[in-house]
Amino acid sequence: MDDLVCPRCKTTKYRNPSLKLLVNVCGHALCESCVELLFVKGSGACPECGVALRRSGFRIQLFEDPIVEKEVDIRRRILRDYCKRESDFTSLREYNDYLEEVETVVFNLVNNIDIIDTNKRIEQYKRDNKESLAKVRTQSKFNEELLELDAILEEEKMRSEMMRLEALRVERQEKLRKLKSHEALIDDLMFSETDAKSILASHKSSKANFEYDVQIDVPKVVPAPVAFTSGIGFGSGRTSFLPVPKSEEVPLFSYEELKLDFGGLHPPTIDELKSTHSKYLNHVKAATTPEVAGGFHSSIACRRALQDAFADITLQPKLIRKMDELIEPMDVDAS
Amino acid sequence: MSENGGLKSDRRYEKIEFLGEGQFATVYKAKDLVENKIVAVKKIKVGSKAEFNDGVNRTALREIKLQQELHHPNILGLLDVFGYRSNISLVFDFMDIDLEVVIKESKIVLTPANIKAYSIMTLKGLEYLHSHFILHRDLKPNNLLIDSKGVLKIGDFGLARYYGSPNRQYTHQVVTRWYRAPELLFGSRMYGDGVDMFAVGCIIAELLLRVPLFPGDSDLGQLTKIFDVLGTPTESNWAGHRTLPDFCEFKPCPARSLRDIFTAAPDDMISLLESLLRLNPNERSTATQALQHSFFSNKPGPTPGHLLPLPSNVNRAVPDDKPSLKRKLLEATDTTGLLVKKLVF
Repeated sequence: MDDLVCPRCKTTKYRNPSLKLLVNVCGHALCESCVELLFVKGSGACPECGVALRRSGFRIQLFEDPIVEKEVDIRRRILRDYCKRESDFTSLREYNDYLEEVETVVFNLVNNIDIIDTNKRIEQYKRDNKESLAKVRTQSKFNEELLELDAILEEEKMRSEMMRLEALRVERQEKLRKLKSHEALIDDLMFSETDAKSILASHKSSKANFEYDVQIDVPKVVPAPVAFTSGIGFGSGRTSFLPVPKSEEVPLFSYEELKLDFGGLHPPTIDELKSTHSKYLNHVKAATTPEVAGGFHSSIACRRALQDAFADITLQPKLIRKMDELIEPMDVDAS
Repeated sequence: MSENGGLKSDRRYEKIEFLGEGQFATVYKAKDLVENKIVAVKKIKVGSKAEFNDGVNRTALREIKLQQELHHPNILGLLDVFGYRSNISLVFDFMDIDLEVVIKESKIVLTPANIKAYSIMTLKGLEYLHSHFILHRDLKPNNLLIDSKGVLKIGDFGLARYYGSPNRQYTHQVVTRWYRAPELLFGSRMYGDGVDMFAVGCIIAELLLRVPLFPGDSDLGQLTKIFDVLGTPTESNWAGHRTLPDFCEFKPCPARSLRDIFTAAPDDMISLLESLLRLNPNERSTATQALQHSFFSNKPGPTPGHLLPLPSNVNRAVPDDKPSLKRKLLEATDTTGLLVKKLVF
């Protein structure tokens, strides 16, 4: 480890025990202070190979050989796309070929062999496997978790439903009993020979007894689970994460064209004006380069002028006269 | 345009409470005694002598001129204008909160469906404006108002104006800096609807991040922040940008993938953001193109208005609901707390 040295400032581990080498995507190392110095602006070129780098891309060098570091980096990136599994292939041989291909690509990128060709190959692969990749990715990530979550939610729902039914049943029973005891009391008072006071007292005691019974009767509540099977607790105690509101099935949005009423004729759209066949633009001052760069195009001015001109161009005098007639009698009334 | 129905203007509206104060006006919540509903009355301040030289305050005049002709569910409606003594007051629909409140409220979770709903309403309003050749020029969460039914309306037309005159130059000192498009920062005097679309891109990004995407502290710093994410412009992706009046050369910097910044966003949303945050204003999506983007037609559907999250204190009557027009960076980082992902540049 003693010969750890920054290639730029030549500081060694011996002279600066806290020396830490950082590497970026190109695989060339730099010490922390050099990174500070060179990438004040957030981005810059690698002093060794001149590749444009970002400061946030620097990581601590884990392996002594920066090439290994580079390979780890490349491999991570490549495997994000080459993420097929054995089950996606029909035969072991195909799978092996696929693994071989991955290794070739990684090796080429690490050792700068046919970079352009290899990149093309990756692009091609991505294009070919776009759908299947998306599927594989989402499957591997979410499937298991989702299934588990669904099961837990289902269980919870069933439990709460059962508890609700149980509570309802107990309540109904209790009501019935109360009613019965009340009737019995009245019956007793009506027909019994004994003293009214003693009847009341005996009923009261039996009622108290009964209530005591009921309290015992309450079914034992099964403790609700407080954690996922993975050991992560449900929301309680962690206020920083809120449950995502349940999304209901809502109608999807579909674009409806904005209706502009020009009273008949429609001016050509900006796209029509921009097309080469249109001669409208010949009569408008052409936009200069800075104007175009600023987002102004002569077709905008043209369209606006046309829109203003076309608005209500077909409005008929007859209609106007009619409107005048409509207004007139009111005026007479007012006067 | 005022039809007071026999009542004197100063009597038609009964002041309920003070809502907030801007640079040019004070806003009151008031009751319309004729229509029997709650409205917001914006009383234009009697300006200093300099402003009064022109007669009426310019921003007020813009608002009156433009907003009284605009009728769209997603544009704040100007209901009435009346004068009393030497004051002018504008009467608007009453809106409970603005989008900034929603963004800052850490208790609110914004799902992609919610963001979709807010974006659709904003873009619909904007499409209407642009189709009538009006630029808003001051889009920011603070100016997107939301009522208690969850309907978003674009408000504050103090900087809005018609665009598309071939021989009229416009000032580039518009749009709150954090939402300003690169062509404005380069001092372009002729521009189009791209300036509003860039702001919309910043706002959608802010809905995701819950902090401003490009919180620059100076015009140059703003450009640095933008190029840090989107990369420095080249002649191939933005032809002619060197000819802009205030162009200055930046150290070349590669673009970052938006996926790295919005780690939780779905792919279609990233692609929408990319189309709105293009450096070249001519390649940026227009409001119509944005609304036709697959992000909006894909699942999940936009949250209907009554289900959109509102802060628990919507009816709360404090000036907090209408924060001052300019918001401080410090304040934003303080209140949003731990939930927010910090941008590392």
